[in-house]
Formats: sequence, structure tokens, C-alpha cells
Amino acid sequence: MTLESYLDFQSVVKEYPSSNEARRAFGIQHAHLKARPLEQILVWLEAHKKHVKKPLVGKTITSTLYKISLMLGLVSFFLGLFSGVGLLSYSGKEPVNVLYFMAMVIILPLFSMLLSLIAMLRVRHSNEVLVHLSPAFWMEKILSLLSKKKVQETVIDPVLANWIVIKRSQMLALLFSFGLLLALVATVVTKDIAFSWSTTLQIDAKTFYDFLYAVSLPWRELCVSGVPSLELIKQSHYFRLGNSLDKTMIQHPALLGEWWKFLALATVFYALFLRLLLLMTATFGLRVALKEAVLSLEEAKILLKQMNEPIITSQAIEPEAGLSTAEGKYEKTVFTLDPSYDEAYGWFMSQEQLLLLCESVGVRASRCIEAGAQLPLAKEGEIQDKSKAAVLCFVRAWEPPTMEIVDFLTELSSRADKVIVVPVGTLENQYRATPKELDVWDRKLTLLHHDKLWLKR
Amino acid sequence: MMSSHPRFAVVGHPNKGKSSIVSALCLDDTVQISDTPGTTVNTRSFPLRVDGKVLYELFDTPGFQRPTKVLAWLQQHPVSADKKHEVIQAFIDQHRHDSAFHDEIELLEPIMAGAGIVYVVDGSKPYSQEYEAEMEILRYTGQPSMALINPIDTSDYTQEWKRALEQYFKIVRVFNPMTAHFEEHMALLESIAQLKQEWTEPMKHSIALFKAHQEHLFEQTASVIARLVYEALSSVERLPLRGKEASKEEKQEVEHRYKNRLRALEMAAQKSVEHIWSHDHLKKEQQRLAFEGMDLFSQETASVFGLTRNELLVAAATSGASVGAGIDLLFVGHTLLLGAAIGAIGGAASAFLGFNELSEIKVLGQTLGRRSIEMGPMVNKNLPYILLGRALYHANTVIGYSHAMRSRVDIVMDSSFKTKWLQDEMKKSLEKYHTLFRAKEIVQGDVLEQYTALIQTILKRVADA
Repeated sequence: MTLESYLDFQSVVKEYPSSNEARRAFGIQHAHLKARPLEQILVWLEAHKKHVKKPLVGKTITSTLYKISLMLGLVSFFLGLFSGVGLLSYSGKEPVNVLYFMAMVIILPLFSMLLSLIAMLRVRHSNEVLVHLSPAFWMEKILSLLSKKKVQETVIDPVLANWIVIKRSQMLALLFSFGLLLALVATVVTKDIAFSWSTTLQIDAKTFYDFLYAVSLPWRELCVSGVPSLELIKQSHYFRLGNSLDKTMIQHPALLGEWWKFLALATVFYALFLRLLLLMTATFGLRVALKEAVLSLEEAKILLKQMNEPIITSQAIEPEAGLSTAEGKYEKTVFTLDPSYDEAYGWFMSQEQLLLLCESVGVRASRCIEAGAQLPLAKEGEIQDKSKAAVLCFVRAWEPPTMEIVDFLTELSSRADKVIVVPVGTLENQYRATPKELDVWDRKLTLLHHDKLWLKR
Repeated sequence: MMSSHPRFAVVGHPNKGKSSIVSALCLDDTVQISDTPGTTVNTRSFPLRVDGKVLYELFDTPGFQRPTKVLAWLQQHPVSADKKHEVIQAFIDQHRHDSAFHDEIELLEPIMAGAGIVYVVDGSKPYSQEYEAEMEILRYTGQPSMALINPIDTSDYTQEWKRALEQYFKIVRVFNPMTAHFEEHMALLESIAQLKQEWTEPMKHSIALFKAHQEHLFEQTASVIARLVYEALSSVERLPLRGKEASKEEKQEVEHRYKNRLRALEMAAQKSVEHIWSHDHLKKEQQRLAFEGMDLFSQETASVFGLTRNELLVAAATSGASVGAGIDLLFVGHTLLLGAAIGAIGGAASAFLGFNELSEIKVLGQTLGRRSIEMGPMVNKNLPYILLGRALYHANTVIGYSHAMRSRVDIVMDSSFKTKWLQDEMKKSLEKYHTLFRAKEIVQGDVLEQYTALIQTILKRVADA
């Protein structure tokens, strides 16, 4: 996973969000990657990059970062080189004080590395001041303001952004140190320099030797000549008073140049080797941060879930056909019944039930006739033939008007002047139909548009 | 035609809740449900598909419209029991284009293609002989069958229905699609699986998948709620100021925007939860998020070149140190890095003291500085619990809301709900995360995941209560 992939992924997933089905199909196709989410994301990205307009934002940003890094790198290198040349500049009148160079290759790197380590440990704090100290941070901030809108809108995980700055700061420091080393080598090769050490502090040669011996710990076993001897230290102790060099110094000019080995090894170890270790740590941290940043992206989480988890659907595939429903109230409605009728029918009701119903609604019927399945269909037809004037037809209000009952009512109305449909409720409700049940019958009769069919409400 | 996966046709009299049962079992809130008979005009298939593979299929069918006439036709063709299904097939073949028997053919066709029968009746209304023709026709098909008593209303005629149904069906169960919970759904599927030995295994597999899917839905819901709380707590509303100081209107405006932002976040989260649980068509009534009695603090901020005072301070100190270091270099270190130190201090001090003056400098009529008033992150300690309570209540309502329901749901949280989920210990655990969300720090992915897991635990506890 690279920064470019991380940025491209955000852009691709935003501009070409494939469907859940397509993602799952991709997941099945690459099932062997299921346990490796990062690879899964990368493979998905590679397959979908082509759908997004080029140049991709990842390429743009990494290319900008590369240019900034190159520019800052060159500046750092030359700054190091010129600093080195400046620190080692030897006029021939007085020796070069090694303390300045030591400060640049030991003290300054150790101090800046300490700051870097603190920044690494506090990398998850978004407003990390130490990160803000890096020139890389400011250069990027200024350039991002000058970048295109699309680049400016790109969101980089703050932890990742911190690691980017930390890593690049190490690179810049490394190049600066390379510049210093090159300056040292070039100056030593091309000039005859007399090194010395000079300080206002009351430090004797032995103390200074002990200090340098300790500083040389990493290489003193490997390269004995890389540790300044006590003799060299004594001889190169320089005092400015008198405006002239010590006689012993003049007597051993070759010895004074011996310091370069120590300075070179100090640069290699403190400014380069340790910095390299820090750079490797930062590279590792950046890699981990990249991984975490990708996997913590909401889009990545969704993509991985959609690729790895089966799509379970239980809904209908085809849309449901529209339903034609009746609007308005049924006009042929009666609210009271006459005291007597010629005939009363009961849909799937026995004689006893019919008599009871007639009594409960306060009507008398000359004949009570059972209708429906209790009688063979042929007989049902016979009953309809006998119908003449206004008739009642009791139906169970809670049972919806099926086409069978509609057929019966249609038949009945062709042989009678008026058919009054009387929906009745349950015994529990004293045979009273509920308004909701009546509405169902109302709507059904409205759909039928029959002149002779009336509804008792 | 025999199918490779189990199929079940939900059949019965019109308006007895067939579509409601299918809607609830298939988590589909788009099924047309109405008290007008004949709402379902064609048989619809509801397959349970996993990655496109059908594990089982439910059919919502139109109700019987002319069962007596169909039975009469069948009875006119007397055959031995083993040939009865052939008579049904003959009926279908003969009446395929007869509109009078459209509904019967629609419902019989999947059965004749091998679907098991799930016969639905309304247990809140008395039994009637009218149904016997339907049950007799179904017996003719010879397919495995079960009956479901759906208590649509409050009256209970279950016992008389059971007595009648047990004469026709080997399994009779009561199932209310409006109130049934997930476990009842699964129990019903298990009953259906018993209809035929070959269906047991695929149905068990389907049930296991359903359960895993349910867990996945809980996880997704918890994630949405966790993100809502995180975004609401860390949200900042910023309004550029026209003058040097915020006017009363500007203060009101930023507060108005901030409140609306939180409300919009809540609405979006609710929509997501409804989508997760396939309740996209849910009609709801609820009170909007209120902020009464909450102290919403706003503060004025300033920036120069897009940098805050602190950032400018660091920039100035760094620049000063660089310039000072350059001077140190010119003196070949004789200054003992004093130049860098003085440069850093000078730069920082000038940025600190001159920030306001710098921000007022005009270039091409525009000041370099930008002043704004901002509200957020939310400091009120109660708001996350109010948000969480509302989100959990909404989610719990949605989870328990049957897909067969078509009425508007009132999401009104009662005071007792809080006791179901917010105990002291839980509050302590939650507060730890809320503090993190409020701080202007980066919240790591795993922190949000831990918070999501906590929310999921609460959500499941609330759902099980």
C-alpha cells in the first residue's frame, strides 16, 4: 500500500462507487484474498482505476510531494554542504575549531532526533507542535493552498499526515548530513587543515579526551585511529591569546590533521547512521499508518464488508402490479330496513341463523333461503330464479366479498327489483358490522356499479 | 416442473393476512397490504437469495375467489386419491385463459409446481364452512401443507379454527405477522421446514443465514449510531464574522446552524438505520431533537493566512530561528547558536503580540486575517446520552416494527426507556469515549470500533428486553 494508492482509493470509491452486487461478485472472484484486506482493496482499486478520469488525485499529490521533497532535499544537501565548508574554512592563520563541526554532526542531530522521537511517540495527536516545526510541513501547507481544488479537497488521515512529515524530515536531515560529510571529505582532500579545539570553559585535555572516548564508543574497537589520542588532544588545544599558534602545534602539523577521521566517523555514525535508523523507523511507522488509514476509511470498511459478506435478499424481484381501488362512497345505501321482505338470503348461513338475524334486525321475511356451498350450485340457480321483488341478502361483514358472492349477487339482482346486501357482524358484536367492515363492502359494491344492488349501513 | 429449492405458497381466503405474513417473513415493506379484497392480483415470488442463489422461495398469492365453483368442477371428475392432483392440473389447463378463475389458477400453479402449502386464516373471526371448499381443493393437490392462524383482531376464535384446520393440515400454528419477533419468524420457518424431509436441511441452512444476517444488521446499526454520536460531539459550526466582534444575530445564526447540523446528522442516521432494516417506506412521527436547558457555548476565533494564532506562532518562531541560524553560520558558530535562539523568541513574540494587527492589514481591499465565530465540539455532558437514547429508541422501534405494518409509527420515548440501557457502569464506559470525541484529537479507528461494540451490546440488550 502506498500513499498514491491510499489517495486513489478515496478518489475512485467516490467517483465510481460500484454497486453492492458488483462488489460482492468481485469479492467472490478474488475469494483467495479474503484474509488479506489490504490486498483486496489494492486489487479492487487496480481493476476500477480505469473508470475514473485521469490524472488521478494520488498521482497529482504524490508527484507534488516528490517535487517538494526533491526541492527541499537539494536545499538541505547544499545547506549541509555549505555549512560544512563554512565550518571547515581554514584561512591558515588559525586552526579550525572541531567543536563547531562536532556540534553540527553530534549535538544538533541528537537533539533533532530526540525531537523526532518525541514526535513519533505523539504522532496520534493532531496538533503536534513538533511536526509543525518541520520545514516540510510548512512548504506543503503553502503549496496545498496554491494547488487545484480537487487536491485541496483530498482528506489525508491526520496520523498519516504526521508520519509523512516525520519521514520526510528525516530524509531532509539525512541529506543535510550528507552535505556535511561531503564538505568534510572535500575539504580534507583539497586542503591542508589544521584542526584544534578551543573553549572558554575550564576543560583540560584529559577530560576532553574522556568525553571524546565516550563519544567514539560505537567505532573505537573497529577503527582505533578514529579516536583522537590524548596526545593529539593536548597538542591541538588552542588558545587565541597571543594571536599566534603554539610552537608544539607548528612542530607537528601532520598530527593536527588527524582529527578528520574522528569527525568523519562521528558524522557517519551520529548524523548518518542514527538518522538512517530513524528514517527506517519512520518508514515503518508510515507503512503501518498507511495500512491503518486505509482500513479505517469508512468507504474501505463498507467495500470490504460488501466484498466479503454474502448478499442476502428476501424481497420480491419484480414490482407489484398496481391495484385499482374505488374512491368515494357507495350511493345506493339504505340505513333502515322495511318491516317485511319477500325473501331473505344468507350467504353460507343456516335457516336458524337466518331467522335469528331477521329477528335481530327487526324484519320479517316470507322465505329464508340458505345460499352458498351448503347447496349444490344447480340448486342455488333455482333459488335465484324464484326471486322477484326486493330481497335481503345477509352476508358476514368480516368476510371479504369474494367473486363467488359477487356472482351470486349479480345473478340475484337480475331476477329481483332490489337486492339489499346486509353485512352482519359477529355474535360478540351483537351482529353489528364495524364501520371498517362496511367500508370494505362499500368499496366492492362501488366497483361493481350495479343499479339494483343496495348496501345496508 | 419440480424446483431444486423449497418453495412455499401462502394461500387462503382474501384479506386474511397472506401478504402481511409474506411481508413480515421477507422483510419487505413494499408489499401492498389493504383491507380491500383482491389487493394481490398476481402471484409474486419472494426468494431468499444468498449471492444470487435461491435457498427457498415464498409465494404471495391472490385469495380464493370462486372456490365452490372450482370444487364443484373437481367433484365432477371423480378419480382415485392418487390421481386427484391430475384433476387439479386438468382444471388449470382447461381454465388457464378463463378470467373467472384467474386467482385460483394463480394460486394453484406454484403448488402444482411443487410448492408446499401455507394456508392462512384469520383467528379473530369465527370459523365458517365457507372455507371448507378451499381446504378441500388444497387437499386435491396432494402437496405438503400447514395452516397458520393469523389473529388479525383482538377477538379469539383460535380454538374453533384449530379444531377445523387439524382435520385438513398436519401442522397448525398461530402466527401474528404484526407482532412476531425475529425468534418467532425463525420458529415459523422451522415449522415450515418440517413439511417435507428434503426441505429440512436447506431450511436449516437458511435459518442459520438469517441469524447471521440479523447479527450483521445489529452491527451495522450500532456502527451508524456510534458514528452519529461521534460526529455530533466533534462537530464544529463556523461562521465568518463581518465585523471585529460577533453581533447578536451572528451568534444566533451560528447556534441555529449548529443545532440544524446536529438534527440533520440525527435524521441521516435514522434513515440509514431504517434502510439497514429494510424499512425504507417507514412513516414516522417524532419530536425533533431539542436543546432546551443546554448551554451551547460559542467562541470567536481568528486566523491569518489560514493559520491559527498557535500555528502562526510556531511558523514565526521557526522562521526566526532559521534566520538566526543563518547569522550563526555567518559567524562560523562564534555566536553559540544565540542567533537561532533570539530569532525563535523574537519570531514567536512578534507573532503573538502582532497577531491582531497583522490580521487587520488590508491587501487589495481584503484583510489578511479572518475572524469567525464557532460553536462546537459539544461540551454539554447530557447531549450524547440524549442522542444515544433517541437513536437507540428509534433503532429498537425499527427493529421490532413488522414489515407488514403500514400505519404511521409514533416514536415517542418514555422516561422508563432510559433505565433499560443507561446504568451507572455503562455511563462510565460511555463517558470515556465521549470525552475523547469532544477533544480535538484524532479518534483512532479502533476507538470507534470499541465504541461501536459497546453500542451493539446496549442495542441487543434493549432489543431483548
